Amino acid sequence: MSSTPTARPATEPLLQVEDLAVEFRTPAGVVRAVDGLSYSVSAGQTLAIVGESGSGKSVSSLAVMGLLPRPPARIVGGRALFQGRDLLSLPPKEHRAVCGDHVAMVFQDALAALNPVHTVGWQLTEALVARHRISRRDARKRAVELLDLVRVPHAKQRVKDYPHQFSGGMRQRVMIAIALAMDPEVLIADEPTTALDVTVQAQIMRLLAEIQAERQMGLVLITHDLGVVADVADDVVVMYAGRAVEQADVFSAYASPAHPYTKALLASIPRLDQRGGTLDVIPGRPPVQGRIPAGCPFHPRCGYAQDVCRTDPRPEPVEVAPGRFSRCHFAGDVLAGREPAELLEEGL
Amino acid sequence: MGRYVVRRVLQGILTLFLAVLLLHLLTTLAIQVNGNPARAFFGDHLPSAAQLAAVEKRYGLDDPCFDQTGNPCVKPFVHRLGDYFRGDFGTDLHDRSVTDIVSTAAPNTLRLFLVVTVTWFVVGMLLGSVAARYRGKVTDGGIRGLSILIDALPVFVIMLVWKYIVTVPVYTHLRDSLGSESFWAILFKPSFDRTHPWATVIMPGVLLGLAGSASFIRLVRAAQLENYGADHVRTARAKGLAERHVIIHHIVRNSAIPVVTAVGFVFTDALGGAVVTEGVMNIYGMGGTLWRAVQTNDVGVIMGVVTLLTVLTVTVMLLVDLLYAALDPRIRFD
Amino acid sequence: MTEPDVTALVAEETPPTGSADPVERGSRSIWADAIHTLSRRPSVILAALVALFFVFMVGFPHAFTRTDPQRCDISQSKVHPQGFGHQHPFGTDVHGCDVYAQLVNGARPSLLLALLVVAVSVVIGLVLGLLSGYYVGWVDAVVSRVIEVFLVIPLLLAALLVLSLFKGIDTGDGTFGSIVQPAIVLTAFAWMGYARYVRASVLETKNLDYVTAARVLGGSDLRIMVRHILPNAIGTVTALVPTAIAGIISTEAVLAFLGVGVQPPAISWGIMISNGAPWFLGGAKYLLLIPLCCLVATVLAFVIIGDNLRDALDPKLR
Repeated sequence: MSSTPTARPATEPLLQVEDLAVEFRTPAGVVRAVDGLSYSVSAGQTLAIVGESGSGKSVSSLAVMGLLPRPPARIVGGRALFQGRDLLSLPPKEHRAVCGDHVAMVFQDALAALNPVHTVGWQLTEALVARHRISRRDARKRAVELLDLVRVPHAKQRVKDYPHQFSGGMRQRVMIAIALAMDPEVLIADEPTTALDVTVQAQIMRLLAEIQAERQMGLVLITHDLGVVADVADDVVVMYAGRAVEQADVFSAYASPAHPYTKALLASIPRLDQRGGTLDVIPGRPPVQGRIPAGCPFHPRCGYAQDVCRTDPRPEPVEVAPGRFSRCHFAGDVLAGREPAELLEEGL
Repeated sequence: MGRYVVRRVLQGILTLFLAVLLLHLLTTLAIQVNGNPARAFFGDHLPSAAQLAAVEKRYGLDDPCFDQTGNPCVKPFVHRLGDYFRGDFGTDLHDRSVTDIVSTAAPNTLRLFLVVTVTWFVVGMLLGSVAARYRGKVTDGGIRGLSILIDALPVFVIMLVWKYIVTVPVYTHLRDSLGSESFWAILFKPSFDRTHPWATVIMPGVLLGLAGSASFIRLVRAAQLENYGADHVRTARAKGLAERHVIIHHIVRNSAIPVVTAVGFVFTDALGGAVVTEGVMNIYGMGGTLWRAVQTNDVGVIMGVVTLLTVLTVTVMLLVDLLYAALDPRIRFD
Repeated sequence: MTEPDVTALVAEETPPTGSADPVERGSRSIWADAIHTLSRRPSVILAALVALFFVFMVGFPHAFTRTDPQRCDISQSKVHPQGFGHQHPFGTDVHGCDVYAQLVNGARPSLLLALLVVAVSVVIGLVLGLLSGYYVGWVDAVVSRVIEVFLVIPLLLAALLVLSLFKGIDTGDGTFGSIVQPAIVLTAFAWMGYARYVRASVLETKNLDYVTAARVLGGSDLRIMVRHILPNAIGTVTALVPTAIAGIISTEAVLAFLGVGVQPPAISWGIMISNGAPWFLGGAKYLLLIPLCCLVATVLAFVIIGDNLRDALDPKLR
């Protein structure tokens, strides 16, 4: 393969999700939580999946990990290739075993995600002991190493502590250390900083970025905070109502969003360089699953919405630039930076 | 941990003191409104005043406070507490000490409780875990139906049916075909046999254990279900661990905490059940002693045995609390 | 995974509704849901019919038989069941008393006792649980200690002791007179469970925002307890009631068997079982089987209702 001048490493993707679709059977009927999601992440690359609550971002990663409760969840389509092997077609036992060794996950609420009755050291090396039969002394050594790696002070003493004896930030570090225990190739971090103080958030993000760069892992960062994405991500997938509405590299997405939703999200980030003015908010509420509007699901909240957005079936992805996709009838206009008012004047 | 233990032990002692006080007040009130139980000593024939006074003195009922309704009778209570400390829990109508009766009866009760506990634990853990694992499936429904059925059959009914309807024909048949000293015949003997203290408590014990297992099954199922959906179990699964490992170390281990707290209540239930079981099956144990004492209206024995069983219950509840702390580090490191 | 988790995954955050008080809205829908769920289960309907049948028997014994259970003819002793339409549908006992009439009239003390004990226990439990959970401090310390003291004396043991002690006191004739003693004793040792549940529920609820809001708005303690906190506790307590009724019915049978429960000449199923048991092997099986079957049917009906109610009010465990 010839070297290209792009910044992106031209390697095989480690994890490639294609056309993933997940449904939930609820008392109110079948709900499609993820619909036709595709993305890929390579070694050393960070992909951010951004969306509001209920947009399907967490469900999609749990599906990849094989952690969705089935029933009520059902994977109704798509593939998740890890190094070319489709995880979703593996038997559940094998699926989990592969993920255990190669794809790790950091969960949002570390207090709930850690078992309260086992010591942190035990949980750090649980998989090593149970699945790879390492000795207790090696396990202890490895646990201390892992805590050192995530910069938990006094690691030697703290491996004997229980999760409730750690502070919120330290607990999240432990969570990350557990994910790193098996030297995974891909790390999926599901809102790793949401439950934390702002200052601690920054520390945890920095730690994640450092470790990722050091180990050349593929990192999938799930967040609702577009502000976090800018610093660390290479690529970004914006999700709305179970679908990816925009996919782009992070610089283009920030500089010139191609979907009204991305644009609105960016406008709603508070900025230090703009004083005085009011902050733009996205009007309305995110749709409740099961009651997703017909046509483009974003149309009730969208300034660009025209009749076509209400009546036409959901827009298909448009490639607005090489490698950039947007699911919007007016993708080109949004990309060009034209405001809704201008479009109206043209009588569209 | 140390402070927790000390606090719990002191609390237990206080509870025990108050429970004994409650029993004392109830007895006192009963004597005040219902007349002297010492009269029961004489059965049907009328005692002379001197005889009555002698008996009253022996039972410690000669204090005038027993004639004044509403008097808490503090002095006899202090006296009684002193007796309890010396291990004197009163005597029966034939002047045999309750301590003596209990010491010969307790081993049979222990045998019964051992069988009960094993049955109860095995059935409860097994069926509760299976029901949680296959929640909503046919197996779960079946186990639930079984636990409802068990609940609908009070120990009393189970024992009557067992004794009068099941064992008699089965025992007769086995005795005639295998001989009266064969294990199977003894197993189905309709009443307790002192020469075979183990074999004749097995079936009553199993039945009593089954009767208590219904609520335990539900409890284990509920506690495990809570953990099946817990975030920490998801973390464990994300580690790629085998489901068996996850169930043992994360689901069963964590659900042991709420399950252990319920052991105390199941124990008090089982004590009541043991009284009925031993009574109906003529087992010579503490419960059977109490059962017969109620039938013969031997208040001294009833009082002594109930007090001893109360002491036992407080002890068990205390142990449960300590076990609870041992299982849950959040309490241990409070 | 539990239902709330699934809902959370599907829509991590449902938009808040307009109602200021989630309990108001929530409790009504929980009850409506529960009734809806229960009414679609054949086992529950059957159980409810059985329970209602026996309750009706308690209320209107004359609708079933006009025979006096106390008028016995010793020459008609141990007549085997003859079937309906004859003089003694279920036969007669050793003393020649009509079993059917005894059965109908024996339902009354058993069921009345159970209903009375559970009703009074629930009231005591609610009041003490509310007070100790709401005011905490010394009220809670006292109530908790009292609960613990009563808990360490098992119900049956306490009942045996106290009823033996008070045996022979005349409480008057009639149904009430014959059940008042066991009723007082069983109530005294049966209220703790409700108090514990209510207390836990109050502790959980009372610091929720809408309760704080009600307090800030100047709601009186009583109003806050009754309007905002109590509705949360009611569900759990209600689910316990049918099972508790079943428990008291069977405890009464044990007490009657030992001769310390409902006092003769009143009849209860427990007394009938007690009198009938020795005759099982003496060729009169029906004397034990008939009251035993009635007892089991009633207990089973209440247990089924209780189990389903618990299930409906706590859908998390389904």
